[in-house]
Amino acid sequence: MADLVHLERHRIARRENAGRGPVREFLAIGLGGQQYGVELTGIREILSLPPLTPVPRAPRHVLGVCSVRGQLVTVIDLRRRLRLSDDSPPRRARVLLTELDSDIVGLFVDEVRQVMRLSESEIEPAAAAMGGEVSDHVIGIARPQGQVVVLINLSTIVPR
Amino acid sequence: MVEVSEKAREDFFSEAQEIIEVLSRNLLTIDELQRHGSSDPSLINEAFRSVHTLKGLSSLFGAPTMGGLAHHLEDVLDDLRLGRVDFDNTVLDLLFRAVELFTKVLAIEKAGGVQPTAAVDELIDQIRRMGATPGPSADDQVNYELDPGILSVLTEYEEHRLRSNIEGGLRLFKLRVRFELATIDRALEEIKEQARKLGEIITYLPTGESGGIETIELDLLMASGHDLGTLVGALGGDNVIIEEVPRRRAGGVSVAPRPMARTAEHHPTGQAPDLVPFEATLAMPNEQLASLRSVSQTVRVDIRKLDHLMNIVGELAIVRGAIARMAERLHNDGHRQVGTELMRLHRNFDRRLEEMQDGIIEVRMVPLGQVFDRLARVVRQISHDVGKDIRLVITGAETEIDKLIVEELSDPLMHMIRNSIDHGIESASERDAVGKPLTGTIALNAFQKGNHVMLEVEDDGRGVDEKAVLERAVRLGKVSPDEVDQLTRAEILNLIFLPGVSTRDSVDDLSGRGVGMDIVKTNISKLGGVIDVHSEFGIGTKTTITLPITLAIVSALMFRVAGNTFAIPLASVSEAIAFDSAGVRQVDGRDVISLRGTTLPICRLDELLGIERSAPHPNRSFAVVASLGTRRLGLVVDQLLGQQDIVIKPLGKLLRDVRGFAGATELGDQHVGMVLDAASLIDEVLVSSDIGLRSGKAGHG
Repeated sequence: MADLVHLERHRIARRENAGRGPVREFLAIGLGGQQYGVELTGIREILSLPPLTPVPRAPRHVLGVCSVRGQLVTVIDLRRRLRLSDDSPPRRARVLLTELDSDIVGLFVDEVRQVMRLSESEIEPAAAAMGGEVSDHVIGIARPQGQVVVLINLSTIVPR
Repeated sequence: MVEVSEKAREDFFSEAQEIIEVLSRNLLTIDELQRHGSSDPSLINEAFRSVHTLKGLSSLFGAPTMGGLAHHLEDVLDDLRLGRVDFDNTVLDLLFRAVELFTKVLAIEKAGGVQPTAAVDELIDQIRRMGATPGPSADDQVNYELDPGILSVLTEYEEHRLRSNIEGGLRLFKLRVRFELATIDRALEEIKEQARKLGEIITYLPTGESGGIETIELDLLMASGHDLGTLVGALGGDNVIIEEVPRRRAGGVSVAPRPMARTAEHHPTGQAPDLVPFEATLAMPNEQLASLRSVSQTVRVDIRKLDHLMNIVGELAIVRGAIARMAERLHNDGHRQVGTELMRLHRNFDRRLEEMQDGIIEVRMVPLGQVFDRLARVVRQISHDVGKDIRLVITGAETEIDKLIVEELSDPLMHMIRNSIDHGIESASERDAVGKPLTGTIALNAFQKGNHVMLEVEDDGRGVDEKAVLERAVRLGKVSPDEVDQLTRAEILNLIFLPGVSTRDSVDDLSGRGVGMDIVKTNISKLGGVIDVHSEFGIGTKTTITLPITLAIVSALMFRVAGNTFAIPLASVSEAIAFDSAGVRQVDGRDVISLRGTTLPICRLDELLGIERSAPHPNRSFAVVASLGTRRLGLVVDQLLGQQDIVIKPLGKLLRDVRGFAGATELGDQHVGMVLDAASLIDEVLVSSDIGLRSGKAGHG
């Protein structure tokens, strides 16, 4: 359900990175007012926010469950995982579907911005400077066009 | 590629499983017949053939342990069916052990692990030692006007059957039958079935004659003690011509084999049908017959595919709801005619959808006999091991239940039956002393009751010693000493389902370790079932399991609490009542209300589940009475929405630690609702404290 604007940006990003060796594609997402990146290969689908049913007794980072074409999906709030502010969901909120241990899991994000194509040289490995729990989920940091984007690892961000 | 080979492996496992089950069933029937002093050679032959197939399959799929076992077993069965080895109890025991071993080896083959090679080798060794005495050499016993053509194509087994039938003084008949190619499988089975009552069909061969492309003509050689007239009366028809094969005259010197056509001259009735020599039949390759026989009417389907179909039906049900709402809106918005037409379509759709749902559920159903056969084997084995003479009486094996439930039933039932054998049925001397028949009886009954299947395991053993159970429960701290006097008999009996409380103190190989019945109960409640026990000390014990027919679609009660919609399976709800919060009293620090003179513990669901509530509790609310066995708990909810058939979907792995829910279900308009697991909520609220034992005064009468 990525809309046309995103695809257009994707195309622009592709052109800018053309001819710079092996690249990885990341989806730039907004979370609690900051920008993060998740690897595109791990994302199966992007949904506009479906009606969520809260699950009593579930851990705090579980926003609820929803049904995607008959399949039950647990939706995780990435903001709570990353200890960011979790104000009421903005209008542009999306759910990214990813596969985890053969379960489909939904990741709630404030907004989906664009696809970034980054070559390995553009990814700065997670530095020791980033202490605390966060560093477990961080692949590295990228600075496309002067912005700071934290690249996060989908397979470790969801607690199991 | 991987998928194909995995699918093939799956098929192999399920086919091997089926073969082993058929083998087991045949052995049980043979065992039963032996006891009555009769036998049915076709059963042994069938057993031989199924093991033969198993051998072939095993080597095809690289399962050497199973293949080796099948190979040696095949030899023994071959000796048995050819009469080289006598069928006695030793042989039967060996065969039953082989079935057990096959089951084990197959499970290991499937799940991976170390094969019990030592056990297999030991059994093979025993099979070998049984050996065969050489069978009677071919002699001139066969003094019938049979064409050598037919004799030469008889298998060794058929020849053996022919000989023993002739030795038994039976007459030989030839049946010429004509079948439709499309239905030859069934037609052949039918005539075999009919013929079985009158004799035995030794072999059948296509004549090579054909009345058309669509039909095939066969000659059946049959041995019977009846005369031609009887056979014609019973089996004859438009497509079946029967004649007797004449016996050679005493001292007959006919050395040269006569063509079959000539036998007509000796035919007692003098009729001379235009017989074709049997030689002609040899031209027809056997493979062709084999390929015709493989035209099967059944397919094997992975249950997950049926789950998928059931999910689609669930989604269609949601579409159905949307159509109904749209029809109503059209109707009210001035488009009366279109609205009415759409409503009619909706009703039609509704009916078809229901039929489809019923159809899918029906496909999922399998007879309970599948489990019962396994249990019959266990009873035979264990009663033998512990030296008790026990008769297992099974009724209702044809009762059908969801395939998934059948799979999960086998362990709990096994445990219950073991309990009956170990702790229920007394030793022969004990039984003799109290004047009971020396042979103990365990009855396994199944029957359908509405949307439920009832299963009973009943024994005529010593019954549950309530005093001992109560003492043990007090010792384990499950019941406080001052509570003892307040417990009803039903409540005391149900104590055996608590962890650690066993029906007897002895610790032995099979059960009685004090774990068991609690696990049985847990497994049964996982299936949405309820278990109850009735027992008379000294007379016997009856354990009853009530199960839903299917897990795929569940009738549920829908309700709302603090703005959330929930469902609870109706199977675990005894009633729903309106109550006034003014009637709530406190007993032992717990909220209770009076319900028709009994005390019902209640619990506010929002508080239990930790749901935040924006509005205060309404004065008048509802209690959904969840029940598990004799325990009851009133769950207080805001609003009842009514009954609905739901498809329960399991919560994902991320939520596996969240207790109290069986899953979630779609509600329509894209929303989902959580489905409560009554058993775990009741356990949580009641069992962790002692009050649960006293809550169910209205339990069982």
